[in-house]
Amino acid sequence: MSNEFYIGYEDTPPRSLSRLLGRVALGLAVILLVIVGAVAASQSPAEPGNYDFGVEKSFEGILVEGALPLLQVGTAPGAITNYLLVGSGKFGLPIFARGHGGEHVQFRGSLIQKGDAVMIEMNDPTSFAAVKTPSNEIASDHSIGPVSLTGELVDTKCYFGVMRPGAGKVHRGCAARCLHGGVPPGLLLRDSAGNALVVMLTGTGTSKLDLDPEWAARFIRVEGQLLMRGNVPVMEVRRLELAD
Amino acid sequence: MSDHYRAIDWNRQKRCYDAALAGLVVMGAATFLGVTAWVSPESTAETLILRTTSVLAFFLLHILLAIGPLARLDPQFLPLLYNRRHLGVTIFLLALVHGLLATIQFHALGDENPLVSLLTAYSRDYRVWSDGRWQLAHFPFEPFGVLALGVLLILAALSHDFWLKRLGAGLWKAFHLLIYPAYVLLVAHVAFGILQTERSPVYPILLGIGFLVITALHLLAAAREKVRSTTAAAASSEGFVPVGAVPSLEEGHARVLKVGRQRVALVRHQDRLFATGNVCRHQGGPLGEGRVVNGCLTCPWHGWNYQPEDGCSPPPFDEVIPTYRLRMIDGELWIHPVPLPTRTASTGVALPENGSNPQPKGAS
Repeated sequence: MSNEFYIGYEDTPPRSLSRLLGRVALGLAVILLVIVGAVAASQSPAEPGNYDFGVEKSFEGILVEGALPLLQVGTAPGAITNYLLVGSGKFGLPIFARGHGGEHVQFRGSLIQKGDAVMIEMNDPTSFAAVKTPSNEIASDHSIGPVSLTGELVDTKCYFGVMRPGAGKVHRGCAARCLHGGVPPGLLLRDSAGNALVVMLTGTGTSKLDLDPEWAARFIRVEGQLLMRGNVPVMEVRRLELAD
Repeated sequence: MSDHYRAIDWNRQKRCYDAALAGLVVMGAATFLGVTAWVSPESTAETLILRTTSVLAFFLLHILLAIGPLARLDPQFLPLLYNRRHLGVTIFLLALVHGLLATIQFHALGDENPLVSLLTAYSRDYRVWSDGRWQLAHFPFEPFGVLALGVLLILAALSHDFWLKRLGAGLWKAFHLLIYPAYVLLVAHVAFGILQTERSPVYPILLGIGFLVITALHLLAAAREKVRSTTAAAASSEGFVPVGAVPSLEEGHARVLKVGRQRVALVRHQDRLFATGNVCRHQGGPLGEGRVVNGCLTCPWHGWNYQPEDGCSPPPFDEVIPTYRLRMIDGELWIHPVPLPTRTASTGVALPENGSNPQPKGAS
């Protein structure tokens, strides 16, 4: 132990303590590098996704209301793209777009995309215009059949790209808030290789799913009818329960 | 120390301390961001900020908690203690950025007040027992972070000599002991939060090591403290209690005596022994581990000074600590556990020529 006495208000510490402090600072730097590096390197990689925050594009198509609000772009079989629709912040289809189901509409919004899943954040009410002519060009669903699936309940707006990562316990409060606000719920499924697929969850017919938002980020088991609505996998849920 | 509170000037040591602290923060942030950009390039900027600030704050909190016991175990670490409040405020600022951004990111722009949402978004899972089993993994982690940030806010706000002066060292120090509950809250925040999402064993291992290191250092320091203090025996005649044979003290050095439930600093100054209170008026530093510098017993924590004879700080400062009567009886040192009236000068007891043991002498 050094026999020198340290007094903080003096301009310089004793020489031996100066050397020690230098070594301590160096040691702390090394420990910091190792620990922070290990923590950072051990993170699960965030999945790819995109959110054109602050970038608005024009969209035009048929507004499909009901259990799962969509913008259907294109009418020819095989050339249809369904865009999921949500509002700004943690809300589902905005009020200004409601009541226009089946109409041709145009508006500006920000694109959210993960793989084949595409979603539009309708954040510019002034750009919304509806062609009042009702359309009969809404594509029909392709039924796959009854299934039972188990996965994580996610809010699709965050999971598809607004937040990365947009799933898991840390994100749970946000997911619950989003589901409460009307963002369409999805069931996140993963295979053994970690590949992910999200199936949109609705009630049967045109009814929305009666879902407890507090189940967000928890594992649930759902039973119902699986179908493809254009490019969007959808499950009309007859029964659901917690599975974790 | 001061006759009234005033801003303390920056000196070279403080600047070096703050520069090293800033360097650690910048280096830690750069490391986290760099490695994350490599392993998780799709992470959003918000996620990067949230995680960088939380990792750095939690790491620095461990350093802060380790400084106290390290300085007790080896006085060479005392320089780390001197400017520790800057480290604490830095931790608070990092935690504040983390907390505010997390509240905005996860709870703003919804159908509920963000602060209400923060604590109630999945409030049903506050029940840790339901459906016939424990549901701890789902317990909300946010309240632990909110409470810890509240404690850090209080401590950061009080980390100024203005409040030290107003509250007094005892109350001020008691407030700052809240850092320990805050640490426990943050451990819970991490355990119920990110550890329920990330599956790498690195996280629980590091969390466990950190907790064990902090706990072990405090236990070791407490054990050393017990050994280092010389305990006086039962009281004897005229209220004096025997301390035993006086251990050799170098000129200008001091040591801690335990007299009943109180601690006393025994100081050798100009070949005499003096006894003063052990608790510095500034932040409760152990004066018995200080030295005599320029005729004053100097606290090892922040350098506050007291004259060994009367316990007074040198003019113009007005702090004062208790002084005690010493006696030599049959080659043993005795002390009276009741302090002398405030500012009473004492002559102490004289040491023999060789300076190793005090001469038998009457009451000082």
